[in-house]
Amino acid sequence: MVKDKEIQGYRQQPGKLPFSKPGSGGKNSFSKPINLENIPVSQNGIKDQPWGPHRHDSLISGQVIGKSTALVDSAWKVTGQAQYGDDVRLPNELIGRIVRSPHHYAKILSIDCSKALDLPGVVAIATGNDAKNKFGVLPVTKDEHAMAVEKVRHAGDLIACIAAENENIAREAERLIQIEYEILESIHDIKEGLEDSEYPIHDRGQYHIGNSNIQKRVFQEFGNISSLEKNTVVSHQSNWTFAGVNHGFTEPHAVVANWSPDGRLTLYTPQQVPHYVHRSLADVLEIPMHQINVHRTFVGGGFGGKSDPFPHEMCAAILARKSGRPVRITFDREEVFWVNRGRHPSKIEMNLHADSIGRICGIETDALIDGGSFASFGHVTTYYNGVLHTAPYEIGAFHYTGARVWTNKPASGAMRGHGAVNSRCAVEVGLDDLAEKLEVDPITLRLANLLPPHSATITGFRVTSIGMRECLERVKEESGWSDKFRKMPLGKGIGIGCGFFISGSGLPIHWDPNKFPHATVHLKIDMDGGVTIHTGAAEIGQGSDTVVSQSVAEVLGLPLDMIRIRSRESDTSPVDLGSYSSRVTFMNANAAISAAMKIRDELIKAASDITGASEEVLVIGDRRIFDKNNPAIGVSYLEALHKSQEERGALISSGAYRTPPMGKTHKGAAAGLAPAYSFSAYVAEVSVDVETGKTIVDKVWAAHDCGKALNPLAVNGQIIGSCHMGLGQVLSEEMRYGRTGHLMNPDFLDYKIPSIHEMPEVIPIIIESNDPEGPFGAKEAGEGPLLPILPAVCNAVYDAIGVRTEDLPITSEKVFKLVEKKCREQGVSSPLDLKPPRLEFSDLQDTLEKRADLHSTRDIERRLDSSREEYYNGAIFGFDPTKSPEEVDENWSVRVIPNDDYLHSPRLAGSAWKHIERRKMGD
Amino acid sequence: MVEFRLPMLPQPGELVWSVNINGTEVKLNIESNAILLDVLRDQAGSLGTKRGCDMGTCGCCSVLVDGEPRLSCLTLAADMNGREITTVEGLANGHQLLSQNNNPTNEEIKTAIEGNLCRCTGFQQIVDSIRAASDIIRENNDIEDSTSAKSDPHPGFMEGN
Repeated sequence: MVKDKEIQGYRQQPGKLPFSKPGSGGKNSFSKPINLENIPVSQNGIKDQPWGPHRHDSLISGQVIGKSTALVDSAWKVTGQAQYGDDVRLPNELIGRIVRSPHHYAKILSIDCSKALDLPGVVAIATGNDAKNKFGVLPVTKDEHAMAVEKVRHAGDLIACIAAENENIAREAERLIQIEYEILESIHDIKEGLEDSEYPIHDRGQYHIGNSNIQKRVFQEFGNISSLEKNTVVSHQSNWTFAGVNHGFTEPHAVVANWSPDGRLTLYTPQQVPHYVHRSLADVLEIPMHQINVHRTFVGGGFGGKSDPFPHEMCAAILARKSGRPVRITFDREEVFWVNRGRHPSKIEMNLHADSIGRICGIETDALIDGGSFASFGHVTTYYNGVLHTAPYEIGAFHYTGARVWTNKPASGAMRGHGAVNSRCAVEVGLDDLAEKLEVDPITLRLANLLPPHSATITGFRVTSIGMRECLERVKEESGWSDKFRKMPLGKGIGIGCGFFISGSGLPIHWDPNKFPHATVHLKIDMDGGVTIHTGAAEIGQGSDTVVSQSVAEVLGLPLDMIRIRSRESDTSPVDLGSYSSRVTFMNANAAISAAMKIRDELIKAASDITGASEEVLVIGDRRIFDKNNPAIGVSYLEALHKSQEERGALISSGAYRTPPMGKTHKGAAAGLAPAYSFSAYVAEVSVDVETGKTIVDKVWAAHDCGKALNPLAVNGQIIGSCHMGLGQVLSEEMRYGRTGHLMNPDFLDYKIPSIHEMPEVIPIIIESNDPEGPFGAKEAGEGPLLPILPAVCNAVYDAIGVRTEDLPITSEKVFKLVEKKCREQGVSSPLDLKPPRLEFSDLQDTLEKRADLHSTRDIERRLDSSREEYYNGAIFGFDPTKSPEEVDENWSVRVIPNDDYLHSPRLAGSAWKHIERRKMGD
Repeated sequence: MVEFRLPMLPQPGELVWSVNINGTEVKLNIESNAILLDVLRDQAGSLGTKRGCDMGTCGCCSVLVDGEPRLSCLTLAADMNGREITTVEGLANGHQLLSQNNNPTNEEIKTAIEGNLCRCTGFQQIVDSIRAASDIIRENNDIEDSTSAKSDPHPGFMEGN
């Protein structure tokens, strides 16, 4: 057998100059010595680790992690160079325009486009008949069409779309399209959605719930509800009404579609979740996914409002296909409100019960939420309204009934704090009331009822790191709480509120997490030494490009200016779920770290080959790999890189992240599961003018446990920005519907977002609980910080004037009416004579303080002890902490279907269970 | 470009529009009823000027006209003939506020930007950054040129490391 002749490498001739090092040169031509202040004590540095060591400690090179870092794309934005959706201008473009329904609910009898098509300058028109396939966020609730098929379901629903040479012509063509409707009786009242209807807004076939407009119903019962009455000494009961709110992102939706000559579609769109659009386009256009390139543009704010696949995105693709030219569709602000997907208008009944030693022995919640005309993320939202308030407190029993109904309104969907915000507000205000009734400090009540680190909630969520206690202690101290609470004069008040939120959703909606990872990141490094990151994490302004770049830079010991990130196009990005459920930092940074570790290993091996030092002693510092015992022995990053490139050119690696197996197995157990949870506590100080009812928030102390602030600048930004958005919902924002069901304020003049003058001073406080599975210990910071501001303000209003609101937003009119009522109750004629609430603590206060102290010790021990035992919710009530209570107590139930007893007198949303699913009829 | 005109509607007139945008003299044929924002975006190529609300509430479309801030979505382009317009792309030399007052108080900053709605920051950081910019101006600090050399991937080792 003849052996292939071995290929000889280049042999350098004696006397000739060596090759120059391609890629060398630039600023800072000496490697910075390692600063031990950046290195954790576990790695022999001097950076304190009060929460213990972390699995990523050895990857800390001291470059960027934990340092306030300007976002890597900020220069584009501040100079006006960032291309958002409507800034994509392709040659020969057409302007697309959507024809929308003027009716709330109607059958479409006919559409005549002939006159419009005859208009010079009109190039293409499409209607529902051009794309009959359904799409939607969740595979089980695909209920949207590109344009209405058979009927329109809300004013503003899409009927047709036009591509024309310019906007004027498109508008004129819109006028010329003749549509015949048969108007159907529309539904606007959320309660009506629970009833049987002649024409339900959707037909879900055998899965339809009676003939109602119930899109989703949830029943959950954990623990022994029947023993509640026996143990309860005080209860809180409230019936909340939450108005719907819109994301109010600055950039209206815009999309550009272009079919290239090779027959591939590129869709330019400011999307939070390009992957959903990718899938939906394939469904609607009946082409394979590989024929589509989804190009995420810069996103001018999303907050959940740009995470659905949208009908107008389908329309642009359909029009571009028909016309053979690029089509650009841009919304005006009114159209943004027609698409909506904002927070659900909700009616929430909240019942909290406490026992004689101040334990929260029961939470019973009933949430009826108004989904508008489409499902969107609705299944998930319906669960989140319940399950996301089963922490951070240890609870004796939990009962939740939830229902989401269709009405003929623009669809509700996911918005920052998805599904958790409204019911969290109700819980936290309820706790304030319980504390009042128990005559204890509401902060102490919370501190004495917290779940410990590494525990399980009543619904089986695995809690890992928890910095709730530290959040509460810090805001209490910094706000001067003890000197102010129930002690300030009439009209001045202080209030507390807490939050709990998922750090990434455990279940990727479209695939089995065991078969495909949640997130994947690719790295490529060539001769020049610059690192190219490919990720599908959608940069929507929150800083995902920055945090992924930071993670790679840290592991490789490189300054950020050597990292470039390509996260925009599905052609080059790994499949990714995009930016929702606060998943990016946790999942993508973890995937990026894992990819970077592979490159790091290669570089260390190369450095070992060159220097002869063993791999074990080599560490990565600033652009240099060296012997930690003798830093003089080492090579530059570029030398090591070139060495490892010898046999194969560019270094390429791929890293992935998937969540560990978690949770229980009951129906709906996956909703709310997350690999980690964030915690927050805010104290708000307010001034209420008792004569006018006007509430001004003066100052907010905002503590948030984000595990580890990879970029403190961005975390602080998220905290302050969340306060602003939450303040809007509590003080002024409301989608107002008139008597005929019409949305009355689809614009920024009448939809009142707080301006700079309404914005209080916010003191952000970062708590770093060092999550064991988070990247360098990090958890989310984008959504959780919104939750506590609503109840903190509501509770502060009570402290100021003694009235409790159950109706958001708390406009002046509403507060004034409550003040009038209070005046009658106190028998005073002027509101200025009202007595503000005062509180003398009972003996229970002392008991709770002692318990809180004990728990504090317990928690510190647990977080530092890697061989700790299990801790299940219920231990505080005397159950064995190491066993799930249903294993030891036969009365401790887990039920997800109501029994007949319940159905005799259900709560409001619970009454959804009176209907029978069609497939079960006739049983 | 082919002209498409609507036969059935009264047509706006056209006029020659001559302005200075970010220091460059620009001459365009515009429709007499055109809005400044549309002309800037669609004809003058200033895509940094954004449309956010169409009704003068959000401030995305702000430009400086002869140094004074103005909402381009509420401005008739024809009225701006002969004026000097500065868009976000031309703002490198400083904001209107800082050009008149290089050491503004927080209240002055708030008043200056009260016409802008911001949904991300909660405003606090905008105030902070205007303050930072005023420090740079007053102290005459250099700002690094974005095109200057980036880091050397092949650094040397210094004793003491």
